[in-house]
Amino acid sequence: METILETRGLTKVYRADGVATPALGGVNLAVRKGEFVSIMGPSGCGKSTLLYLLGLLDTPTDGTVLLAGTDTRGLGDGDRTRLRRRHIGYVFQGFNLLPTLSAEANVALTLKLRHRPVGDAPRRMLAAVGLEDKRRRRPSQLSVGEQQRIAIARALVTQPAVLLADEPTGNLDSETSDRILDLVARFHRDLGQTIVLITHNQQVADRADRLVRMRDGRLIIS
Amino acid sequence: MALLPLANILTRKVRTTITVLAIGVGVALFLVLTGLTSMLREIADRTTRVDAHLMVWPASDQVVVSGGLPADKVEKDLRSIPGVTRAVPVLRWPFKMAGRIQNVYGIRPEDWPFFARPGALVEGRPLEGGWEMVIDSRLAAAGDFHVGQTVERWGHTFRIVGIAREGVAGRVFMPIDTVSLALQQADRRASFFYVRAADPTRIADLRRQIADRGLSVFTMDEFYSVLASSFVDMDLVIGAVVFVAAFVCFLVVLLTIYTMVLERTREIGILKGIGASRTQVFGLVMAEAGLILAAGILVGFVMTFAGRILILRLQPLWTIEIPAMRFAYAAGLAAVGTLLGALRPAFRAANQDPVESLRYE
Repeated sequence: METILETRGLTKVYRADGVATPALGGVNLAVRKGEFVSIMGPSGCGKSTLLYLLGLLDTPTDGTVLLAGTDTRGLGDGDRTRLRRRHIGYVFQGFNLLPTLSAEANVALTLKLRHRPVGDAPRRMLAAVGLEDKRRRRPSQLSVGEQQRIAIARALVTQPAVLLADEPTGNLDSETSDRILDLVARFHRDLGQTIVLITHNQQVADRADRLVRMRDGRLIIS
Repeated sequence: MALLPLANILTRKVRTTITVLAIGVGVALFLVLTGLTSMLREIADRTTRVDAHLMVWPASDQVVVSGGLPADKVEKDLRSIPGVTRAVPVLRWPFKMAGRIQNVYGIRPEDWPFFARPGALVEGRPLEGGWEMVIDSRLAAAGDFHVGQTVERWGHTFRIVGIAREGVAGRVFMPIDTVSLALQQADRRASFFYVRAADPTRIADLRRQIADRGLSVFTMDEFYSVLASSFVDMDLVIGAVVFVAAFVCFLVVLLTIYTMVLERTREIGILKGIGASRTQVFGLVMAEAGLILAAGILVGFVMTFAGRILILRLQPLWTIEIPAMRFAYAAGLAAVGTLLGALRPAFRAANQDPVESLRYE
C-alpha cells in the first residue's frame, strides 16, 4: 500500500527570548494510505507538535514531511496552504467550531475556503454523523459530543487524503468518547479513510490499526 | 463566505453599533458642516443677482458692513466715467429680525426694479418712502411676518409694505434716506455701488478707471471670493472639525477591528487549520470592516438628512446645500478612513502563526 504521509528526520526546536526548547528530535514516521495510526504519549512529549507539522501548520527546524508524494521542505506558506487544503482534514482538540455559524455553515465553510461548490455535501455529511436534524443549530445549542461530530464532519466533507485528529475525545466523557471513536472507526472501515490520531489515553489508542508511542520528542515504537 | 463576516459583527452588537455610529457621525459632520458653507454662496448669489457688472466699495478690505461713501458724490463721479450707464447706491446695515441679524439694503425706491424683476413681489407693493420695508419670503416665513405688520427697531416703527420672492439681493429693503435718518447720518451714505457698463467687454478698462479714483472694485464673479475671504476663519474651523471627526472615525475603527482580531486569535488559527489562506483571513477581516463601513455610511446619510432638517427648523434662514456628489465624496472619505483603520489588524490576523493561535487560551 502506498505511503501517503511520511516524515524524515523531523525536528522542531522552539526559540523564544534566546532560549531553545526542543520539541521533536528526528522523528521518522510513515503512514500508509487507508491506515489508522494512533500516536500516544504523556503530556508535553511532542504529540501536538508532530501533528501541527504533519498538517503543515508549522515548519520543521530540520527534516521534512512528505505529503501525497510532495516533499514540503522549503515550501512557502501559500504552497503549504494549498497542500493542506487538498489533502488534510483537521479535527482539533476542543472541537473549535466557529460559534457564529450554524452546524451546516461550519461544515460548508471548509468547502467555501477551497472555492468548491457546496451543494448538499454539508447536509449529507451531517447525516453521516447523525446530525442532519440539527444542522441549523449553533454550537452553543449543541452538546459537546454533537459539536465534536460536527467537527469531524467539517474535516471529512472535503474528502481529504488524511484526517489528523488532535485528542478528539480529550474533553469528552467515556460514553461520548466511545461514540466519537465508533464514528471515526466507521469512516476508516467503510471509506478507507487514512487517520492519524493523537491521544494520551490507552483505550483510545487501542482503537487504531497501529500504535506509535512518543516520549521526549521521539518515537519509541514505530 | 459572506456569512461569516456578517455573523461576526452581529455577535458584538453594542460594539458594532458604536463603531457604525462613529462612522455615521463623521460622515454627517462632514456633510452638514461643508453644507453650511453654502450659506456664503447663497449670500453671494443673492447679492450678485442684479443687472450690474461691477460692485464698487470703499478702499478697505471690509466688504461686509460699511457706510463710508458719500452716495451722491460718488454716484456722480462714477457716472462721469465713459461707459458707465448706471451707478446704484446701497446702504447696508445690520438689522435684527426673526431673531437674527439681517443686512438691510437701503436703496432708492426708484431703483427697486433694478433689484427685483417683474413679478418678484408676491404680496404688497414696492418701497415708496418713509418708515417702511420690503422683506423676502424666506424671512417672512421664518418670522411669521406679513404685509401691514410693524416692526420696532432703532427707535422707530417700520411697516412691512411688501414681500418679495426669495432670491432678491437682500432680505430686507428700506428707503436709503430712511436708513440714513435712522442712523442719524448727516448726508446720504452708501456702503457700495452696483455699476452697470454699456459695453461688458470693456469692464477691465472701467475697473481701472474706478480703481484710479481710490475705490475697490470687483466683478460680480469675484464677489464670492471676496466674501469668502472675510470668513476664512469659518473655513478653518469647519476644516478642523471635519479632520478631527475623520481621525476619530479612523481610531474607533482601528480599535474595534483590532479588538475583534485579538478576541478571535484562536478562531483565526482554526480557520487556517481548516484551510484558510492568509489572503482569505485578510479578506475576512476587511470584509467585516467593509460591512461596518457600509452601515456607517448609511447611518451617516440618515443623520445628515435629519440634522439638516433639525438645523433648518432651528435656524430657518440658514442655508445647507449638499450636492449629490458630496455624498459620494463623504462615502469615499469614510471608506479611506475605515479601510486604513482595518489594514493593520487585518495584516496581523493574516500573519498570525496558526500554531500559536491554536494554543491561545
